[in-house]
Amino acid sequence: MNRREFLTKSSAAAAMAAVGQPRLWSQAAADFHLAIAPLKLELAPGKHVETIAYNGQVPGPLIRWPEGKPITIDVSNHTDLPEIVHWHGLWIPSVEDGAMEEGSPMIAPGGQHRYSFIPKPSGLRWYHTHTYAGHDLKRGLYTGQFGCFYIEPKNEPGAYDQEVFLTLHDWNAYMGMATDASMDASYDYSTINDRMLGHGAPIQVKPDQRVVFRVVNASATVTHWLALAGHQMTVIALDGNPVPVPAPVSALRVAPAERADIVVEMNHPGVWVLGETRQDIRDAGMGIVIEYAGQQGEPKWIEPPEVLWDYRSFAHPEPSAHPPDQRVPLVFQSKFRGHGDFDYWTINGKSWPKADSVALEEGKRYRLAMRNKSTDDHPVHLHRHTFEVTSLDGKPLSGLRKDVVVVPANSTAEVDFLAANPGATLFHCHQQSHMDFGFMMLFQYA
Amino acid sequence: MEWLVRSWKAFGLLAFAAVILWGCAAKLAFGQDNYEIQVYGSDTVAPKTTMLELHSNFTVDGTKPLPGSVFAADRMYPTNHAEHETLEITQGINSWSEVGFYVFTSLRDGQGWQWVGDHIRPRVRVPDSWHWPVGVSLSTEIGYQRRTFSTDTWTWEIRPIVDKQIGRWYFAVNPALERSFHGETVNQGVGFSPNAKISYDFNKYISGGLEYYADYGSLRGFDSLHDQQQQFFPAIDLNVSPNWEINFGVGVGPTASTDHLIVKGIVGRRFDWTHHRPGGSESLQ
Repeated sequence: MNRREFLTKSSAAAAMAAVGQPRLWSQAAADFHLAIAPLKLELAPGKHVETIAYNGQVPGPLIRWPEGKPITIDVSNHTDLPEIVHWHGLWIPSVEDGAMEEGSPMIAPGGQHRYSFIPKPSGLRWYHTHTYAGHDLKRGLYTGQFGCFYIEPKNEPGAYDQEVFLTLHDWNAYMGMATDASMDASYDYSTINDRMLGHGAPIQVKPDQRVVFRVVNASATVTHWLALAGHQMTVIALDGNPVPVPAPVSALRVAPAERADIVVEMNHPGVWVLGETRQDIRDAGMGIVIEYAGQQGEPKWIEPPEVLWDYRSFAHPEPSAHPPDQRVPLVFQSKFRGHGDFDYWTINGKSWPKADSVALEEGKRYRLAMRNKSTDDHPVHLHRHTFEVTSLDGKPLSGLRKDVVVVPANSTAEVDFLAANPGATLFHCHQQSHMDFGFMMLFQYA
Repeated sequence: MEWLVRSWKAFGLLAFAAVILWGCAAKLAFGQDNYEIQVYGSDTVAPKTTMLELHSNFTVDGTKPLPGSVFAADRMYPTNHAEHETLEITQGINSWSEVGFYVFTSLRDGQGWQWVGDHIRPRVRVPDSWHWPVGVSLSTEIGYQRRTFSTDTWTWEIRPIVDKQIGRWYFAVNPALERSFHGETVNQGVGFSPNAKISYDFNKYISGGLEYYADYGSLRGFDSLHDQQQQFFPAIDLNVSPNWEINFGVGVGPTASTDHLIVKGIVGRRFDWTHHRPGGSESLQ
């Protein structure tokens, strides 16, 4: 039984469960409503994609909400397949998290569902579909079903003059040859938010402003590198959590599902490109124009100096002060299925849904000791918890708190988390083609 | 709809090329013979990338010299126990085109190592963005080879290429058309020389299958089976690295006009001249 079969069999039961909740709709109006529906999206004049989106826009509406204040969100599904919305990075109950594998109900075609939870922790979170796509590269995260969810901290320092949310996405996926000789998704277009470079409204700034960019990589499979020509960026938070060591970078790496908050001092008047550092992806559309007040002309791109991305730049070099109560070894491997297909993936030798689940005891601190034996990098994500990255390739670090971490090919990484949110908890690679083909497991609280 | 329009445009291009060839038809029977033994896949070399390949073919059982002569019955150097070394350099132009250049050589006892000829081969393919269900490209090759190694010295080939990878299976067909501009078969018109390949991925690194090479003679009327070239190569591909291309095969020619036993090998190395940012940005898809 693969993920599709698992979802098919369990979604019927979930749909039944959802039908048994009409009382939700008789209650007061929700704080937000998301309508999932097909959309013909114009990325640039003459360039359209047929996709699925929230409320007829890409990204979906920004949900900005105070930390700790209860929220209700009604979601209606106007597509022909069951859907679900995952609230990525939030500490909420399994049944509200929006992952079928944890017990959240699927929303049947034509159906609706109300999510109710208390948003926490503060910072940049996001929401997106959590459905299976498999070989159908017009489903799941290949679509436009994503949006930013900013949970306002109780004490917002507000050390900036302007705030800009940016979502990165790649469009019109098709099966292409990957560098490791198996197939992977390739794309026709790439965008920041919903427009290709040069075809959207520029971001207007003023000299000496401090602008915070809140960046979400909502791509199904592509890791992106961003740079702002003529400017340096300072990383202040990763995955919505303030980094212990804010550090300047000339280019930013964000893997699928990763987020980064960066501050830019606007000290170089002109018209610039904030875009992908790789020209082919920038040519495919990934970029946006930054325009200083009173400045005109063609936007300029300046190649940034080479960057060696290292999470340690934003962390303390000392080992974590909290030793784990238990170590959980996890080995990632691929199963070749032909040069004309996606690989299958295993954790400790087993693919989802046959992967072993791990029992957690509330209050204990667990260390996931990950060894990636494959030739692909994996941005792995733990639902409903935040972890601390404690070592990368055997070198310790501390203080860096995330919910997605890239485990590069043929390397190791360790992360610690406190089992403090009872309920089924999903762990998976956030590359859609990897999670669809087995790279997923469940933690269960005892 | 856009797909359909582009499909028809491409189809029209192919048809036009075929008509031009047919219009020029006289008669021909020439191939690259045993210098480059390879069924083409539809993919082209990436831009800013150079592919360097060495084709090494040894004819175990081929044509033999006539008594008292250095030449075989076809007035060419014999192929028996000849080692053919061909250097192929292919430069990627953009994401859908490339140009290849060949240097053919032959090594045989009593004749030393001799230059045979050169070909140039531009190739275009259907871009990925067209999302065709099969890979399609069109190669055209023009070149010269010395009279002592070929009945025809100036030749032109147009080679449509269609391929498809489905899981572990790979299929490719190259229904090539050839024409001579100078030589014995210049009056024979367009010749038909199809190639095909089927292979299976045993694992990530080893694929094996069967390659087929033929020359049926002129399209005006195929040669008798006796005079046709027919070769079957059980072959292995080693996929040890994206930068390397390795292929080995042993070919059997059952007809009288075909070299009866050939051992072939291809070793290719890809040189990527693009500037890669360190830190792994290229390693993540």
